[in-house]
Amino acid sequence: MKTAVITGASSGIGFETSRLLSALGYNVLGIGRSEAKCRKAEEMILSENPNAKITYLVADLMQQREVVRVAEEINRYLNENCNGELYALINNAGCVRSWYMTTEEGYEQQFALNHLAGFLLTYKLLPALKKAHGRVIMTGSNSHFGARIHWNDVMLRRRYNPLTAYKQSKLCNLLFAKGLNDRFAAAGIRAYVVDPGLVNTDIGNKETGGLVSFIWTLRKRHGVHPSVPAETYAFLCEQNPKPEGLYYYLCREKKYSRQVTVDNAERLFELSERLCGIHYERGKPA
Amino acid sequence: MNVMITGAAGGLGRAFANECAGRGYNLFLTDINEEGLTRLKDGLERQFGVTVAVKACDLTKAESVDEMLDVIDKHGILFDMLLNVAGMDFEGDFAGLDRENLVKIVLLNNAATLRITHAILKRRRPGRPFTIVFVSSLASMFPMPLKATYAASKRFLLDFAVSLRQELKKENVNVLTLCPGGMVTTQQAMASIMAQGFWGNATTNPLEKVARNTVKRALAGKVIYVPGILNQVLALLGKVMPRPLVAAIVYRRWNEARRKAGNEVFAD
Repeated sequence: MKTAVITGASSGIGFETSRLLSALGYNVLGIGRSEAKCRKAEEMILSENPNAKITYLVADLMQQREVVRVAEEINRYLNENCNGELYALINNAGCVRSWYMTTEEGYEQQFALNHLAGFLLTYKLLPALKKAHGRVIMTGSNSHFGARIHWNDVMLRRRYNPLTAYKQSKLCNLLFAKGLNDRFAAAGIRAYVVDPGLVNTDIGNKETGGLVSFIWTLRKRHGVHPSVPAETYAFLCEQNPKPEGLYYYLCREKKYSRQVTVDNAERLFELSERLCGIHYERGKPA
Repeated sequence: MNVMITGAAGGLGRAFANECAGRGYNLFLTDINEEGLTRLKDGLERQFGVTVAVKACDLTKAESVDEMLDVIDKHGILFDMLLNVAGMDFEGDFAGLDRENLVKIVLLNNAATLRITHAILKRRRPGRPFTIVFVSSLASMFPMPLKATYAASKRFLLDFAVSLRQELKKENVNVLTLCPGGMVTTQQAMASIMAQGFWGNATTNPLEKVARNTVKRALAGKVIYVPGILNQVLALLGKVMPRPLVAAIVYRRWNEARRKAGNEVFAD
């Protein structure tokens, strides 16, 4: 049985993807921030499909110590139940903020959750991914077009704009996926980014305020149901041999920003390693 | 530059720590939350490559402060700047609040701030300019029913700081008092600002800007910093309007905000 870890799995795109993958027979480990919402999500999936293999773990992935803790739990679970193999890791958890807010480390929250959390979790689960020649999928966004990385002030402390911070974090998803492929494609791991399109979820209403929440409430009405992008994640998990592209929308490869270069990917990889206090091994170039 | 920041693991303290580390200053951080300090130390060192020392401390306890001072003296650390951020509030009508909690507001916001300021002044780097920042509040400008103790404790800081500034002027020390409106320091702070509706939003100051401008102004020798034009107007009104009238207006506003916040909690 194939095991998939999905973050941000108690609502929105993460929930629909958990539901779909468990219906396809995957063993799903979902991560959510709220115990109550995780329980509810688990019940919903089990009520539709009593044979579903679904387990929820609670963690606030914005804080690095929570990422480390939940990664240890997952690795223990994988070693006991899955022969230490992880078939897919879906780094989906993300947030939107209206103001400059920081994590315990003093890192800007959108950068910390949308990018660094996935970067650190992938690092912690890398041995299990290698063993299964697994896939890593990030939830990106077309809003990464027009963004660039502010190398001298990556947390945007000097001139904070919530939308700029969001776009930059989504560009980071693509650069990270590229960096992973450059390092570990030869080891059998493949990374992708999904553009979910405009989706009717609550991302812009959670812990945002005023204008951001208002605009998102208007905007999300035009969005598709989160079960639509879920199919692209399932597609990327199911295709054999592994698709060779990087960026996917509605199960099809798509163009991405010209900012996604080897140099930028390498630079972001090094910066992120420093900010997480870790060192990925140097994989062979693909 | 060696900078001491109290209450460093929280929202504004953390923003100050980021600002100072971004300027390349070395930091000594204290807070009651030890785990938070450790995480922040890691973050600052990774991000800015500055030297960060931390020591958890309950500033309201003399023994705890002495312990921290021992650590400082053992390493012979001398300071160029002190940012007094640690503070707290329990909101509600005075008669209905827990007695010990009420006393704690004054113990931390005032007594502990005096204690640490006195101690760090003794540990100035000799012959160099020294800077002290007191984090007061826009609340210091008005009598504030339902935040009565807090507002008065912040008024204490404002008046104390301005007097201290005069005393220390000849020694090349500047003292700045920061009087910000609301700031989105935590998810709860944001919820409370949202509950105040338009005025909550309008008086809110961006955290990172407040931190940046405060350090800049303190170094430039300024006295009082009220961030935001609207807040400056409100501060002025607080000076010219009769105080009982201000109290009546504030009471009405906070009662409304509390009612709304209460409703939202029930609606969840």
